[in-house]
Amino acid sequence: MRRALRGVSASRGIALGRVRIRTPQALAVEERRIPADDVPDEILRLHRALDATRRELHGLRERLHGALAQEVGEFLDLHAMILDDPELLHGLDDLVSTGRYSADYALKLQRDRLAAVFEGMHDDYFRSRREDLDHVIGRVHAALQQRNHDAERGFAGDILVCETIAPQELAELQSQGVVAVVAAAGSPLSHSAILARSLHLPLVLGAGELLALANDGDALMVDAGTGELVLEPDAGDLKRYHRREAEISREQAQLSRLRRQPTRTLDGVDVRLYANAESREDVAEAHALGADGIGLYRTEFLFLQRRELPGEEEQFLAYRDLVLGMAGRVVTIRTLDLGADKADHSGLTLRSEPNPALGLRGVRLSLAHEALFLTQLRAILRAAAYGPVRVLVPMVCCREEMQSVVAMLEAARISLRADGLQAGERVELGAMIEVPAAALGLADFIDLVDFVSVGTNDLVQYLLAVDRGHESLSTLYTPRHPALLRLLSELFAYGRRNGIPVAVCGEMASEAANVPLLLALGLRDFSLHPSTLLEVRRAIRDADHASLRRRAQSLLRAHDRAGIEKWLAR
Amino acid sequence: MLERELKVTNRLGLHARAAAKLVQLLSGFQSQVTLTGRGREVNAKSIMGVLLLAAAPGATLLVRIEGDDEAAAMEAAAALFERRFDEDG
Repeated sequence: MRRALRGVSASRGIALGRVRIRTPQALAVEERRIPADDVPDEILRLHRALDATRRELHGLRERLHGALAQEVGEFLDLHAMILDDPELLHGLDDLVSTGRYSADYALKLQRDRLAAVFEGMHDDYFRSRREDLDHVIGRVHAALQQRNHDAERGFAGDILVCETIAPQELAELQSQGVVAVVAAAGSPLSHSAILARSLHLPLVLGAGELLALANDGDALMVDAGTGELVLEPDAGDLKRYHRREAEISREQAQLSRLRRQPTRTLDGVDVRLYANAESREDVAEAHALGADGIGLYRTEFLFLQRRELPGEEEQFLAYRDLVLGMAGRVVTIRTLDLGADKADHSGLTLRSEPNPALGLRGVRLSLAHEALFLTQLRAILRAAAYGPVRVLVPMVCCREEMQSVVAMLEAARISLRADGLQAGERVELGAMIEVPAAALGLADFIDLVDFVSVGTNDLVQYLLAVDRGHESLSTLYTPRHPALLRLLSELFAYGRRNGIPVAVCGEMASEAANVPLLLALGLRDFSLHPSTLLEVRRAIRDADHASLRRRAQSLLRAHDRAGIEKWLAR
Repeated sequence: MLERELKVTNRLGLHARAAAKLVQLLSGFQSQVTLTGRGREVNAKSIMGVLLLAAAPGATLLVRIEGDDEAAAMEAAAALFERRFDEDG
């Protein structure tokens, strides 16, 4: 039966495919009994999944050694211990053989029994223990289901319908043939959403209802641009789908004509468009679309997607390829920006911090692990011998941190010289402006930087004190806040007066709808994901810079979001 | 069977890292080991069990060990408590 639903758009695109439900959450496992004959096989399946999870945790542990490993390792050790906990394992086989429960349900029963004991204890403590337990049980459940999947066909033409989606799963799912993902929870500002956009994988969030209504194998139509979902579409829907498909390909053709066009406003002002990149594909796309360079290369993905912490040589080769890939255009490499929130479901989180957004992350983490930081800086400096490179430092909050970075960079240079290795002559240093203190105090360290880049995603979060992943606060989280616009306007003006380029590299700069606003405030350097580069270029080419600048004062007088949007509509 | 009261003297109490150390240590022995704190007795070889005690700094736990290697196990456990789980400076 046809059902029309709506979710929240997180990565645009349309898809038509078969529903594939995934319920990896411990609590979502249904009670299921198995016939007596199946007991030996079910116990085998259970132990294979436990072994696979053990290997997986062990593998993750092995992958990490050196500076980061101690903290990550302790966290993983705890999970490996939970997996081997006699209280968890004891009775598990019995539940299957005597209780005739499925392995999945037996695990859930054990999980509930263990979790129940923690009820009534101090809230935070109870919650964090339950999270640890669920993390482990979730991994075993995933391993059990993986085994199911192996026996079935691949994912070709499937639309994954799930509770949550972790960033590191997306690329793998896409390569297995998944055409779209619909999740019940998550935020369009999450890293999963950013990555889905980078992969051009349609992603709709906040569609919990679908998870309840759909069955494996149902046909599903997804317009991730509007968040529209149609289960078992009818002839009219399909016609609409094909029309939309044709529209999209026409628009693509139109946009692709802008590839070789300059990014220049109607009145002849040149604007620089840099690309945000984290993969080889992003770099190739940036180059093909005529980006002015890479404005933000996220190095953490080099660290997270590999089996072990990359050494200097491997980092050097990756950065050098990046530099060569951009053929003489500037490449901005951001130093490691890991934090307890960055690797949410991967098991790589640094440690369970009570407040990861305010914790050991970005440059704080790098400065706490000098050997790791030095290795990265040496690799970047060596890559800089092959073309123009800039170093961008994340989460700066004070002058002292930039002073330490300058000293580390100098130490890296000296050590390279001592080793007889070649380094780039001139490597510019920049700070990410994400912490309000850095935005308000740029004057205090401007002598230490050659450029700055405003990370509006985090700046909005810290300025408005709104968690960007918080679902019920999503209407509060917006860059269209008068305080942010005034802060940006001052930053751009201060940079201009001091000859320091100020770029914006948050999602804000990736939306064509924000172009008039940013140009009015004085932005000239955009850094955005290649997937929307041509749309933003088109919006800039349609803009009259002088008249927007004249209207800036009325924009800065807006008292609320409605006022800002009224300004945009004019 | 051996019984002994041990005091948690490290700065953070019997939190995840310290609990993991204790469980790892005791899992190397054959004997049955239980910990009792605030009226609750748990399997000392179970990480979830030990974490359940949530023993704060200054808490006293009753360690009960029974088995062939009970003396060695008790000695090792007492030493770990005395070393404050190797974590305070």
